[in-house]
Amino acid sequence: MTRYLSSLGFLLLLACAGAVSAQTLDELRNDGKNTDNVLTYGMGYHLNRYSALNLINKTTVKRLVPVWNLSLDNRWGEQAQPLVYNGVMYVTNARWTVAIDVATGQQIWRTEVDWLPETPRVVCCGVSNKGPALYNGKVFRTTLDAYVVALDQKTGKQLWKSKAADWTEGYSMTMAPLVANGVLLTGISGAEFGIRGFIDGWDPDTGRHLWRRYTTAAPGEPGGDTWPPNDSYKNGGASTWITGSYDPDLDLVYWGTGNAGPWNPEPRGKLDNLYVASILAVRPKTGQIVWHYQATPNDPYDWDACWELILGDLKVDGQNRKVVMQLNRNGFLYVIDRANGKLLSAKPFEKVSWATHVDMTTGRPVESEQGQKVRAYEWIEKWPGTRGAKNWAHAAFNPNTGLLYANTMHAARMYRLLPVEPFKAGQRYMFMEAKDPENRPADLPWGHFQAIDPMTAQPRWQMPLADFPHWSAVLATGGGLLFTGKMTGEFIAVDAETGKTLWQFKTGSGVNSQPITWTRNGKQYVTVLSGLGGLGEIVNRQKLGNVPQGGSVWTFALID
Amino acid sequence: MCLAGALALYGASVAAQGTFEPEQISKGAAIFARNCAPCHGPRMVDPQSAFDLRKFPPDEKTRFVNVLMRGKNAMPPLGGLFGTEEIDALWAYVVAGEKR
Repeated sequence: MTRYLSSLGFLLLLACAGAVSAQTLDELRNDGKNTDNVLTYGMGYHLNRYSALNLINKTTVKRLVPVWNLSLDNRWGEQAQPLVYNGVMYVTNARWTVAIDVATGQQIWRTEVDWLPETPRVVCCGVSNKGPALYNGKVFRTTLDAYVVALDQKTGKQLWKSKAADWTEGYSMTMAPLVANGVLLTGISGAEFGIRGFIDGWDPDTGRHLWRRYTTAAPGEPGGDTWPPNDSYKNGGASTWITGSYDPDLDLVYWGTGNAGPWNPEPRGKLDNLYVASILAVRPKTGQIVWHYQATPNDPYDWDACWELILGDLKVDGQNRKVVMQLNRNGFLYVIDRANGKLLSAKPFEKVSWATHVDMTTGRPVESEQGQKVRAYEWIEKWPGTRGAKNWAHAAFNPNTGLLYANTMHAARMYRLLPVEPFKAGQRYMFMEAKDPENRPADLPWGHFQAIDPMTAQPRWQMPLADFPHWSAVLATGGGLLFTGKMTGEFIAVDAETGKTLWQFKTGSGVNSQPITWTRNGKQYVTVLSGLGGLGEIVNRQKLGNVPQGGSVWTFALID
Repeated sequence: MCLAGALALYGASVAAQGTFEPEQISKGAAIFARNCAPCHGPRMVDPQSAFDLRKFPPDEKTRFVNVLMRGKNAMPPLGGLFGTEEIDALWAYVVAGEKR
């Protein structure tokens, strides 16, 4: 009896500790096991955006209906992935951080993000925010004017605010932070404005700056000899504007870097310019780069390697490999051994004109004749176009099918470089021009929603998109469904086996965000933000004339 | 105060507009190519997202300067980024730099 009581006491103690201390690192690591919560960007450190939940499935999805909607009072666009903890949903956009009661859709608190009206002039691709991070009773987020902020989860009160960079020098922040091994990691945007990219590590308790890893190498540093002996690395880009993934067993964070600055490589010479357009494996405690893989050396094309770095286990040549996968903007699908950085596969998943293939011995792309032409200031018809074979809209990975599910782009751009002028703080630092080819066939799809085999880069099925590519992330579920959204406002559920649309609901604006699924009292819910914004809205604004702006949260469940 | 003063100055100079020096137009073209073309299209052609500047009324310089300095819709205020000479050059380019 005594023993029983002491065990009970221990269990109670554990339960109380859990309730008081809020998210622990273990909870973050095990995100997905307790389906009442969604604690990490990407629905797990692996960024799989996969949930095993199957109550909403191919049979039941026809009964999916909205259960609540909340206005976000924001015209700038909604790109964020919400998080859920203990019955409260946390949502961010450029203007607000909002806490919502998941049972009712009632707003519990909201905290304004204040930035000067001039700030958007250093934001190339949409005034937005991709989401919060949760840890130890705090909500963390980034701000457009390049601050990192911690709020109290219960009240929304600001606990600390730390400056990452000066926005007037071209720096901005839209990405969701990552908590890995007790360190809060953030990236930076601004490679179109001549910034020098970096990843920062912060103390989540105090906001104290712990380390900075610049993503362009200075003279004397490893990789410093991949820049000419001038100051070009100081404006060399390699922004870090999409949240990395994390393998707690290897204690490595995988973070992609953006395009080089300026797009015209002239000041950067004919050198590789590490670590632009690269995938980095970084120690979260120190920022040390353990390995790197550069997808596009000397990048003259805006080939961000920022996109989600999805962790999975794949069988490669009969061997089980722990891999990191990326559908790169440059059109190649990279599969890399995430322990050592060894390239396992690099095949095109879209039409590619700038390179013929990736040399698997050297790991380098073999440039086509377009490489010389573009550096000689000639027009080229570039595939993929400037928005890439895929843009930021995150893919999902189902570990059971071993397939990636992605929204991809199918468009060329006429492209040429312009002469480089000196860097001026806050002004564009690109020096190129681009336009649509005149001969584009009218019936050519602008993109596809597709299931892709990571090792072959071949599609299992494709849904052609005639009007607009999708600019929404994908959510895959154990119910055999994929959820994603359309710029015209439809939130859709698709059969993951066939690509057939099984269900859709028209929201009030465009959907260019990141759906999640979660449970409450044993019932499955799906949540997505609606609110036209981001680059997809900017480049299609005229075509989207009849789709109004305005943000809101939609939550769906099966009608009883 | 500074903004109001600058705007008043531009208002006064509106009457004097008309012809532009080629150097001024080419200076404006360079500023445009660097800072404006990403939204308004290369050489004002193909403005996928923004106002088609080829349609901007050539007799409304004050309006042009107002929008440039204060912003409008998705366009951020660029008042702090350019000086008077640069704004004049941009105006010269918008009015007279390309076929309308």
